[in-house]
Parts: sequence; structure tokens; C-alpha cells
Amino acid sequence: MSNQEFDLAIIGAGVVGTAIAREFAKSDLKIALIDEKADVGEGTSKANTAILHTGFDMTPGSLESKLVSQGYELLKTYAQEVGIAVEKLGALLVAWSQEEVENLPKLKAKAIANGYTQCELITKEGLYELEPNLGQGALAALTVPGEWIIDPWSPIIAFATQAKLAGVQVLLNTKVLKLSYDVDGFKLQSNNGQITTRNLINAAGLYSDEIDGELGFNDFKVTPRRGELIVFDKLARGLINHVILPVPSSMGKGVLVAPTVFGNIMLGPTAENLEDKTATGSTEAGIQGLLQKGARIAPSLLDEEITAIYAGLRAATEHSDFQIKLHSLGGKQNYLTVGGIRSTGLTASMAIAIYVKELLIKAGVEIRDSKELPKIVMNNLGEASLRSYQDVEQIKLKPLHGEIICHCERTTTQEVLDALASPLPPTTIANLGRRTRAGLGRCQGFYCHHELRKLLERS
Amino acid sequence: MKSSTVDVLIVGAGPAGLAAAIELKRAGVKNVRIVEREKTAGGVPRHSFHPGYGLRDLKRFLSGPKYSRYYVNKALKNGVQISTSTTATDWIDPNTLTLTCPTGIEQVRASVILLATGARERGRAARAVAGKRPSGIYTTGSLQQATYLEDLYIGKTAVIVGTEHVSLSAVLTLKHAGVKTVAMICEKSKHQTVFGAPTIMKLLYRFKLHLATKIVEIQGDQRVTGVKVSRAGKEWVIAVDTIVFTGDWIPDHELARRGGIAIDRKYKSPITNGDSQIPNRSIYTIGNLNLPIKGADRCAVEARKIASKIAKQIHKGSILS
Ligand SMILES: Cc1cc2nc3c(=O)[nH]c(=O)nc-3n(C[C@H](O)[C@H](O)[C@H](O)COP(=O)(O)OP(=O)(O)OC[C@H]3O[C@@H](n4cnc5c(N)ncnc54)[C@H](O)[C@@H]3O)c2cc1C
Ligand SMILES: Cc1cc2nc3c(=O)[nH]c(=O)nc-3n(C[C@H](O)[C@H](O)[C@H](O)COP(=O)(O)OP(=O)(O)OC[C@H]3O[C@@H](n4cnc5c(N)ncnc54)[C@H](O)[C@@H]3O)c2cc1C
Repeated sequence: MSNQEFDLAIIGAGVVGTAIAREFAKSDLKIALIDEKADVGEGTSKANTAILHTGFDMTPGSLESKLVSQGYELLKTYAQEVGIAVEKLGALLVAWSQEEVENLPKLKAKAIANGYTQCELITKEGLYELEPNLGQGALAALTVPGEWIIDPWSPIIAFATQAKLAGVQVLLNTKVLKLSYDVDGFKLQSNNGQITTRNLINAAGLYSDEIDGELGFNDFKVTPRRGELIVFDKLARGLINHVILPVPSSMGKGVLVAPTVFGNIMLGPTAENLEDKTATGSTEAGIQGLLQKGARIAPSLLDEEITAIYAGLRAATEHSDFQIKLHSLGGKQNYLTVGGIRSTGLTASMAIAIYVKELLIKAGVEIRDSKELPKIVMNNLGEASLRSYQDVEQIKLKPLHGEIICHCERTTTQEVLDALASPLPPTTIANLGRRTRAGLGRCQGFYCHHELRKLLERS
Repeated sequence: MKSSTVDVLIVGAGPAGLAAAIELKRAGVKNVRIVEREKTAGGVPRHSFHPGYGLRDLKRFLSGPKYSRYYVNKALKNGVQISTSTTATDWIDPNTLTLTCPTGIEQVRASVILLATGARERGRAARAVAGKRPSGIYTTGSLQQATYLEDLYIGKTAVIVGTEHVSLSAVLTLKHAGVKTVAMICEKSKHQTVFGAPTIMKLLYRFKLHLATKIVEIQGDQRVTGVKVSRAGKEWVIAVDTIVFTGDWIPDHELARRGGIAIDRKYKSPITNGDSQIPNRSIYTIGNLNLPIKGADRCAVEARKIASKIAKQIHKGSILS
């Protein structure tokens, strides 16, 4: 790549950057979506708890509260449209101490202030009826029936795929190293050459403050807040029926136990402020701490096998709210930062994209929605839907739908081949897994790793 | 949907499933069918290229592939129906299983069902090992398949976690793949395999044996760069690009559990009566699904005995469809 010119460049192809790219792809702007990683969604977006939040516990009146509740509706609808797994499970916010019991009505009032009116207080008896495997000592709960769970990876792939099909250039393996601007636009120096753009959106997640700094802005500093998570085997799924939330504290939403749409149970996340933005490893202390909490919340969970342990870094800042800012640079160029998208970015992504577009329109950028986005159909990987290996009609059409290649997750060879032939094909076993579930199960590759590598390396 | 009926349906064409099928046919049971989810029948020995198979059952010492070919051929000769690329996915009732294969979905009803689904080694997450998630992490099973079945690139230097029999075969496989074993570590203070074996291997293959040593953290972003280990409060990093987790077996009990079969809390194998039978059902478990891990030869010998009892009961008419 030598010098390329764009009307709009987006740095960061996480859930936020891809949602923005998709939203702007409806216009006739020439757009670049840039990420240093080999795949979209390789940053914070790949490691979260996959909950579609109602926003019941946000700070009322905040931008986050507004965008989470809008994004919740948007993503829920979009997911069902394109075939991304979602499940309406509902959450139970469980009080384990008298103090927490006293907090429940306040949380209910807060939910109402956030426009969410469905919360109900339930007694201990009611709670154990809903969740017989909950550990002893729970005292009461608040229901949040609107909390859904979602496949957290497919939205990113879907956004980026639609954007790409609509003409957005997805520039992966492209790290923005240096930035400069003049009255006409920006020059981005990358490991892949120079990119020139009239308008620039910084959706660089953990690095959004550093990109800001390059352009002379110091509105916030990102402090990575690590969240470690443990995923239990699918055979555990029957133990828990709702998302089990703790009463939130100042460090965040606390440790939850949640079923996933893939049929696992997830325990986490921890919350620990760090300096190192690359500290995505799990820790002994983190894992042990989670297992202790898990033993209290759902003791029988600990008898089940662990299929994955990972950590994600929330882009926390000194501010509690999202940091979405249009900066004035005194020219025809426009620069917009989308930072501090800490704990709710998956849910809020589509609403953030629309908000960002409105800000740029207000700033005078000419954006006309001239295109219909190309329709896409995602491979629904949820246990609640008919999987490829169960689909008699599909097998009839393509026999490899009947050949299971990953036995634990029951991914078929056809699903892998389809992913490899898709507009944004996977390049590693890990990102093949995010598209197909292959290799993400209990055997951790004992049976299928070699087959997957063969297909990947020979494609 | 296609449906069919057999006398005995066996899930899994490893040594146990194959040995049982041969015995059933030999004893005159008519319709014996094995379903195997892999493309080739034979189970784990298919990819265990070192010699070490067949001592108790065949009174010979064969390599894994030879051993599994022997059983597959014998089963076919005896009239066992083997369906490969066919997964038993779920139960319709205690005598009926649903199968998925490239020709479609099928329901098979059987007077007796034998579960011979084997066992696997626990991987990194199942052992709750902390650290990053780079590539270059294997179990002996995945290492053997990548090396012998697909000839894929493995790496340059490796640490082996565990000191069971299978850990020794990891050394051999790594050698074959051109990877140098740097160290073998084990949390226990005594190794878990044949007396003297790790010492001989260690001298032969020039690696360090660290007992009472725990793996604390995996390092590396794209590819493994090292493992942090600790012994008696002292921590150090062994620089390698490959880690092989060996042993620490767990039965592949998924299908059993999906059928509501109770599982032993400690060994994670299905709970059976003395005859390997699930109480009150005509379902039996054989091979490494029961209490791993045993050698393939013992699995075969035991499976044969159980099959022989089942055949007698079928003939007596005490098991009816
Ligand atoms: C433990 C945990 C649990 C969570 N749970 C939930 C939940 O249940 N529900 C929910 O809605 N949200 C949840 N979140 C929040 C959500 O995951 C984040 O808000 C969201 O992923 C942020 O997306 P992003 O696109 O802003 O950042 P990222 O995904 O980090 O994307 C930023 C991208 O920018 C790229 N980049 C950075 N610098 C450069 C550069 N110089 N050049 C090129 N590319 C660059 C990075 O490679 C990266 O891909 C959770 C987060 C964590 C950590
Ligand atoms: C690396 C390694 C080295 C070994 N070395 C030796 C050795 O030297 N000597 C020795 O005696 N033993 C050795 N063993 C142990 C030996 O391989 C096992 O004891 C033996 O394979 C167990 O036989 P099995 O039939 O119980 O299970 P397996 O061989 O594991 O076979 C089970 C079969 O069931 C199939 N299956 C599972 N679920 C389903 C389903 N739902 N539908 C359809 N099919 C299914 C699997 O695909 C598999 O083929 C070794 C094991 C390993 C992993």
C-alpha cells in the first residue's frame, strides 16, 4: 500500500469501529477502516461477558445511559435480522448481605430513572425457585427480565462484512504509527505506508488517548482495567437459568455467572486497574479469586470442566461516562474521538455509530445515505437455533454439513469452509473459532486441532 | 428422517468398541454396528506411532496404527458394520440414538447400546493454567495428530507438563517432529510412570526433569515464548516455543451425560454396576470411558469380556428390543 486517500478513516476495528464503518458505509464517502491486528475485533471486543444490557444500572442522564438503551434495541433487532444468536434470559441481581438487600429498591429506582421499568423485587424463596442451584446464603433479588445474552463476536464480523461489501476498505495488519494534520486533512503513517483522509474517527479503544495525544488532545487517560473470565463446559449449562448479577460497586458490575448463547456458563469478570495495555493474560490470583466467588454463587459449577480462561482490558478513564468528542482543529477537516467505551460497548455500538454520524453532520460534513447496505446472513451459532449438523435440508444440499469436524462444539466441515470463503476470512485458529466455534470446546483441540490447522493452512 | 434397528449399537471405534464388536459377532449376535465420528476407525492408536500396543490382548508389541488396523480389519471380516464420519449426537430414548453423517441424520434403535467414547487429556484451560493465549500449546493427542497425521509445523523447543506414560510418548513425538524437549515438569514429587523410565528418557533425550514443580504462567503474544514455573517458592522462566500438556485424563462422557446417566464425581466416568452396565438400562460403558486411563490392550480385553456376557444374555432372551 502506498499513499491512499479517503474521505473518512476510522482507526480501530473493534465492535465500536466496525459499527461506525457500517453506519457510514450507507453514504458515498470513501472510507478506510484500519486496525493493527490481523482480524477485526482482536482488541477488547473479543473478551467480554456478552450481555446485551438494558442499561438499568447506568448513571441516569449520562450519554452512556442513553446510548446503551438505544443500542440495546438496535443490536437486538439487527442480530435477529442477520441471524446472530441472542437469547432472552433475563438477569437476577442477587443480594447476599443485609446491606445489599437494602440496596435493591434503590437499584430499582435507578432503573426507572434510566427508563427501564420492568424490574421486580423477589424474595429468597422466589429466587431459589428460579435458580435451585444457587449457593446458600442469598437473601433476595431484583429481576431484570430485559437483560439478554448475545454472541459477542458475530456482530463485529457482521458489521465489518457489510461495510466491506458496501465498499469500505478494511485495512488490517495496519498500525497507525504517526499522525499529523493540516487544514485539509490528516496524514496517517502506518507500517503499510501513508493514508490521507479528510475526516478521522479515533475508535482505538485502549489506545484512544494516545491517538488523541498525537493530535494534541489530552481530555482523558485510559487506564486498562483487566477483567478475567472463566468459561465452563456446555454440560454445565443446565445449572443456571438466568444471568446472575451481584450488587454493583464502585469498581464496576462485579462478578457474574452467566449462560452463553453457545451453551456454556461464564464466571467473571474480575476488575483490576493496571498500567500495561497489553496485559491480557489471566493470573493465578484472578482465577483462584473467581473460583472462590463461583463456589459461593453456584457451588456445583466447580465440578464442571473449564473450557477457556481469558482476560479483557476495559478502556477505563478518569471519567465515568463515554468520551465521545468532536474536536475543532480550525479547518475543513474533522476529528472525532470515541473513547472510554468501557463496559457496555458491545451493547451501545450501533447507537454510538449513529450518534457519531449525527455529530459529524452537525459539524457540516456532507453525509447522504445513498446506499442500501448489502444483505448478509450470518451462521447462527447459538444452541437455541438449528445448527448446521442438525439441519437435514442443509445436509441434503451440502453433505459436509453432516461432517462434524469439531466434536465438542459440533462445528461442521462446511461451516469451516464457508468461513474460509467469506469476505473476511479467518487467519488463525482463534479467529476461525470466533466465526464457527471450532476448537473452542472442552477438548481444547485434542481431537480437531490438526484438522482445523490443515484446512486453514491449505486454504 | 432415516431410521433403522440393530441388535447392538456401539459408539466409538477405538480398541474397546472394536474388540467388543468382534466378540459379539463371534458369539453369534446378528446386527452389530459401530458408529465412529472420525473419518477413519481405530481410535487413539491411529495416531500413536510409537510401539507399545497389543501386549495383553494380542501378545505382540505393535505400533498404534498397526494395532488399530488389525482390529478394524478383523471387525470388518467378522461382519461388523462400521460407519465412519458418523457422530452419535443425542438420545431419543434409552435405546435410540440420533446420528449425524454426510448422508444425513438417522435414528438407530438398538437392543443394547455400548458406549466406547474413550478419554482425552486435559488441556491448558481445564487445568486452569494462567497467562496469555498464544499458539504452540498442545496435548499429546493433538501433538500426535498434527505430527503424524498432517505433518504440520510444531516448533523448536518444548516443555512437557506431566510425567505419565503418555508423557514419554510426547517426548518421542516431539523428537519425530524435530522439536527438542527442554524440560519435563510435574507438580507431584514422584513421577507417574514406569520405574526408571523418565530418568532413562531424560539422559537419552537430554532434558531436565523438574518434579514438585508447578506451571504458573504461559508467556507469549502470538507464539509461546516461555513458561514460568515454580518450585518451593522459587520461580523461573523456561524459554520454549511449545508446551505439551500430557495425561490428566477425563472420560469423554458427553453422550452419556446427555442421556441423563450419572457421573462419578472424582473420575468423571459413568456410574455402572459391576458389569459395566448402567443401572436399569441396556446401556454399557467400555474402554477408557470407564476410569481412565488404561492401556489399549486392557481396554480391549475388558471389552471382550463384557461383550461376551452381553452376547449370552441376548441369546438367553433376557435382553429384548
Ligand atoms: C471483561 C469485560 C466484560 C465486558 N462485558 C460486556 C458486556 O457484557 N456487554 C457489553 O455491552 N460490553 C461489555 N464489555 C465492554 C465491551 O467489550 C467494550 O466496551 C468494547 O469491546 C469496546 O470496543 P472498542 O471497539 O471501543 O475497543 P477495541 O475492541 O479494543 O477496539 C479498538 C481497536 O483499535 C485497534 N487499534 C488501537 N490502536 C491502533 C493503532 N495505532 N493502529 C491501528 N489500530 C489500532 C486495536 O487493535 C483494536 O482492535 C466488557 C468488557 C470487558 C473487558
Ligand atoms: C498419546 C497417547 C499415547 C498412548 N500410548 C499407548 C500405548 O503405547 N499403549 C497402550 O496400550 N495405550 C496407549 N494409550 C492409551 C490408548 O490409546 C487408550 O487406552 C485406548 O485408545 C482406549 O480405547 P477406547 O476404545 O476406550 O477409546 P479411544 O481409542 O479414545 O476411542 C474412542 C472413539 O470413540 C469415538 N467417539 C467418541 N464419541 C463419539 C460419538 N459421540 N459418536 C461417534 N464416535 C465417537 C472417538 O472418535 C474415538 O475414535 C495412549 C493414549 C494416548 C492419547
